[in-house]
Amino acid sequence: MHDLPQQLANGLILGAMYGLIAIGYTMVYGIVQLINFAHGEIFMIGGFGALTAWLLLPSGTSIALALPLMLLLGMACSVLVGMGAERFAYRPLRGGPRLAPLITAIGLSIALQQAIWAFYPDAKKARPFPQFGGDPIDLGAFSIQRGELFLITAAPLCMIVLALFVSKSRTGRAMQATSQDPDTAKLMGINTDRIIVTAFAIGAAFAAIAAIAHGLKYGQVDFKMGFIAGLKAFTAAVLGGIGNIYGAMIGGLVLGFTEAMATAYIEYIPGMELFGGGAWKDVWAFVLLILVLLLRPQGLLGERVTDRA
Amino acid sequence: MTTHTTTPAATGTGEGGTVLEATGVTMRFGGLTAVKSVDLTVNSGEIVGLIGPNGAGKTTFFNCLTGLYVPTEGRVAYRGTVLPSRSHLVTQAGIARTFQNIRLFPNMTVLENVLVGRHTRTREGLLAALLRGPRFKKAEAESEARAMELLEFTGLAGKRDHLARNLPYGEQRKLEIARALASDPGLLLLDEPTAGMNPQETLATQELVFAVRDQGIAVLVIEHDMRFIFNLCDRVAVLVQGEKLLEGTPEVVQRDERVIAAYLGTPPEEVAAASRPGGAEDGPGAADGAPATTAERPTGTPDPGARNDTGGHGPAGTEGGEKA
Repeated sequence: MHDLPQQLANGLILGAMYGLIAIGYTMVYGIVQLINFAHGEIFMIGGFGALTAWLLLPSGTSIALALPLMLLLGMACSVLVGMGAERFAYRPLRGGPRLAPLITAIGLSIALQQAIWAFYPDAKKARPFPQFGGDPIDLGAFSIQRGELFLITAAPLCMIVLALFVSKSRTGRAMQATSQDPDTAKLMGINTDRIIVTAFAIGAAFAAIAAIAHGLKYGQVDFKMGFIAGLKAFTAAVLGGIGNIYGAMIGGLVLGFTEAMATAYIEYIPGMELFGGGAWKDVWAFVLLILVLLLRPQGLLGERVTDRA
Repeated sequence: MTTHTTTPAATGTGEGGTVLEATGVTMRFGGLTAVKSVDLTVNSGEIVGLIGPNGAGKTTFFNCLTGLYVPTEGRVAYRGTVLPSRSHLVTQAGIARTFQNIRLFPNMTVLENVLVGRHTRTREGLLAALLRGPRFKKAEAESEARAMELLEFTGLAGKRDHLARNLPYGEQRKLEIARALASDPGLLLLDEPTAGMNPQETLATQELVFAVRDQGIAVLVIEHDMRFIFNLCDRVAVLVQGEKLLEGTPEVVQRDERVIAAYLGTPPEEVAAASRPGGAEDGPGAADGAPATTAERPTGTPDPGARNDTGGHGPAGTEGGEKA
């Protein structure tokens, strides 16, 4: 088991990213019981928004200086697309059969992917994302990339802000109320349409932050990046118990650790030599999902709800 | 088109005047007319009862008043202005309600439930909540103080941190009232507030409703417990098959044969006969009402069924729609 601290650190970073994206799935599901399959593309668009901000700045700007602006534009793009999707694609279908918004979400996902492919300059192949230069920071037992520092600070901050917001603020309480009983919430004077759009916006903003972290980590963004990241984050949300924001973060971490451990150590298990390494990490992620669904279908933190399936 | 019984009450109250004025409210679901041309006025400082057999359209009428349904015809005005058709705006205007089957937010605490009720009377938005400045903290403290006041008022202060779903039934009902009062309403609609309660709890609820009235809030209450209604209300309206059969003081309603007939049932000929002289008192709407609707209702059984129709014809009739 060499390099265990390093693998744990890798898992943590990966998991924090999945968790951030998973928030968007879980918040939307918690309130309108919709799996927003376009969320992966909202994530991807956040990445391209940030890249645009970088390209608009004069060349030679330091990335640390550019980062706030990249965040702002990335989040703005994601939030705009997320809110637009809610307003124009999902809201007209609310109250209709459950399958209609789900299919719409899948359609929207493909449409957004293709829109970036077709209209973003040079997006037919991956575009390089700005990088923090310099050597990895050596922390003794393990080291982390400079770009990963962004995620390590942003993810816990986001989670704390979100937890405070949901449990303590007026809008957060209205959000809880809407998720527990939308009709009654309306009669308590809550504009549920506004609450739903807020949930989409928060999810999109977090996805944009994750996208920037993704770009900084892998050094590129491309139009397909939302698909697998979205699928993983959805897995994380289900793992944690969909509808539960703390579950999303924990599900993300569990998934991240699983992938890191599987990548590094499976090949050392006798008879499993073939199944180790990076190529199999997605397989192990989904094996974990299947196991959780079999053993604890409501997810790690989810409550067993019989009347909502 | 108010009935003559409302006029003295309106002049009788010194301040405020009319709180709620519903005129010609009609609600149709496809071919089914659940509420037919109902007029109802609630004046400031009044407790008005709404009674009627199961499926008479009482809850549907409530839903029309609170924007859950948009009436097919008719007008609902609160303090002179026509109500918006969206529920959250109705609450903002000043009408709050409780539900026939309890609809608290089960996984929130007692205090949080009441704070949600205050939603329309507080303002801070997303940014304020994230920055948590002094204004935000002050507003939060004020909301909480008001919520605690209401919990004291309903006797739930000691349970502020319990989850709503863990409260005993009677206290859940009280909490619904506290939550409704949190929006500082001018009119409180209670949908069967004592359903399932024992006599002591019913009595306590009665006291609570009087106390609410004494705070200057008008109350409109649906109830099946006749003793409760007749003790409580200044005025009672009787709804039968979606139409207002009669309205008057508890004494008048209690003595009226048609009300007794509506609850216990009479042969169809007698219903028709009994409702005819009522026209003089209640206007043309109620006069030819009962027999006409019986014929119109597609789900009702034809002739012999008319008798059951006034009694418990719930699921086939309007009650199904009310639960929505």
